[in-house]
Amino acid sequence: MLQILQDILGGLWETSGLCGLAADPWKLLMMFVSFGFMYLAIVKGFEPLLLLPISFGMFLSNLPAVLPEDMIFHAEYWNQPQSVDWLWMVLHDGGLLDKLYLGVKLQIYPCLIFLGIGTMTDFGPLIANPKSFLLGAAAQGGIFFTFLAASYLGMSAAECGSIAIIGGADGPTSIYVSSKLLDGADSNLNTGTIALAAYTYMALVPVIQPPIMRALTTKEERAIKMPQLRTPSKTEKIIFPIVVTLVVALLVPSAASLVGLLMFGNLLKESGVCSRLVDTAQNALMNIVTIFLGVSVGATCTASNVVNWDFVKVLFLGVIAFSLGTACGLLLAKLMNKLSGGTINPLIGSAGVSAVPMAARQSQKVGAETDPTNFLLMHAMGPNVAGVIGSAVAAGVLLSVINY
Amino acid sequence: MKVFMLANHLIMLAGGIDGDKRPLSGTERWGVTLVGLGVVIVALALLVLIIQLFGTLFDSINAKQKAKEAPASEQKKPAPAPVKKAPAPPKPAPAPVQAAAPVTEDEEVIAVISAVVAMMSEADGKVYKVKSVKPAAGNGFSGRSAWAMDGRRQNVNHTF
Repeated sequence: MLQILQDILGGLWETSGLCGLAADPWKLLMMFVSFGFMYLAIVKGFEPLLLLPISFGMFLSNLPAVLPEDMIFHAEYWNQPQSVDWLWMVLHDGGLLDKLYLGVKLQIYPCLIFLGIGTMTDFGPLIANPKSFLLGAAAQGGIFFTFLAASYLGMSAAECGSIAIIGGADGPTSIYVSSKLLDGADSNLNTGTIALAAYTYMALVPVIQPPIMRALTTKEERAIKMPQLRTPSKTEKIIFPIVVTLVVALLVPSAASLVGLLMFGNLLKESGVCSRLVDTAQNALMNIVTIFLGVSVGATCTASNVVNWDFVKVLFLGVIAFSLGTACGLLLAKLMNKLSGGTINPLIGSAGVSAVPMAARQSQKVGAETDPTNFLLMHAMGPNVAGVIGSAVAAGVLLSVINY
Repeated sequence: MKVFMLANHLIMLAGGIDGDKRPLSGTERWGVTLVGLGVVIVALALLVLIIQLFGTLFDSINAKQKAKEAPASEQKKPAPAPVKKAPAPPKPAPAPVQAAAPVTEDEEVIAVISAVVAMMSEADGKVYKVKSVKPAAGNGFSGRSAWAMDGRRQNVNHTF
């Protein structure tokens, strides 16, 4: 009798989470890390809509479980080559978060997020001042110069590309690129760590950008007032998404799905005849996809992926990428200001990194520090939305050049 | 010879770089950086040209339309005897709007001002007329009162 009781209790202990925790104490550490990110999201308000789902996904995937069928996420599934058998295994044996993560692996969520962003974006300031495109392009220098820096640290092309895309300051694009490049690659990095770094730095835009903006501009430059923008006609706004999709798809087909969905969303909005679809895309769909994307990407942040030197390199290179992107945009804006005879405030150049609308808001804030009557927000929105297109094009270039 | 070598490297790059775990060669890392940045700049510069072209085209079309409409409306005004149908006689609407100068064609602004005036007239029972809408002097900022400036500043800083 005592033996039977002992066997039952022993069996319960061996399948309990406590036994799993004793076998892998790193999970406890990762749970505390997830609590840290939850604190940042809830108390500090750092990108809460994404950081909270990501941190809770991290918490869920690090819950201790001994039996594979009890695990909510199986990190080992995602390092295997994709095949029909693999897909069946994920669907049949995988946990809930494995199934949700398929949307990331199949590049569905980032494109749907871009659709929602398209319905919420007004490209009017960019159409009114198309030169803003150049600032959006220059800010992508952060991506490519970081690629260079990462390669000098001995990283592979897939790792360099995945880290460098953080410089685009665009979460969905970072996830899109890293999930493709790191798929089956022999690397300690994964999509979750890249996304975590990207969203952390996007939340830190108000901390990272202003010192660079002040250092690279003079007080006179920051005080420049820009003339009011013209109002583009509705026809122009309708033609714009079609033209952008066509040009980008012709030059960089790998970026067509991201840019195409972004522009489709914008066309729905500007056409004015699909209000129900616009409402769904910018509210219900966007919220659903954000939850799925955040939770499933967060689930990939297991101890083996985060507690290593490669993650430290991601954090270090991520901030370099972000800073370089800001600096490149500012420097081109300074050049354009010189060439235009002092009509362009260089502060709008820093908004060329995507991070809509935080980056544009920083241009407004730093400009207002010098002259409170200077309103740069709408001028900065042009490079800001150009940065979204620019980072998607840069993503397409990386995916074209690096075989995955 | 150097040009040939560079072309050769670029052709190799066009075939793609393996994402495998191996360090990149000097040509590969500089090739991706320069070609990548170059392609992004060329793609967006092409968009600048196309959108600029569209802007110029639409501006000229709009200018032509305005030019056609302006003399037509000027000719209609002094005509005492109505030749065709009466062109909308002045009704005692709560807030009739007459754009005084051709620069105040922004219909949205006029609609907003009219709506506010109409609300005011409903509130206190008086009838107001908007006789003209003109842009403020200067660049649009200097003509604002201190209250308006502060309100706008607060709006920009807190809303966005």
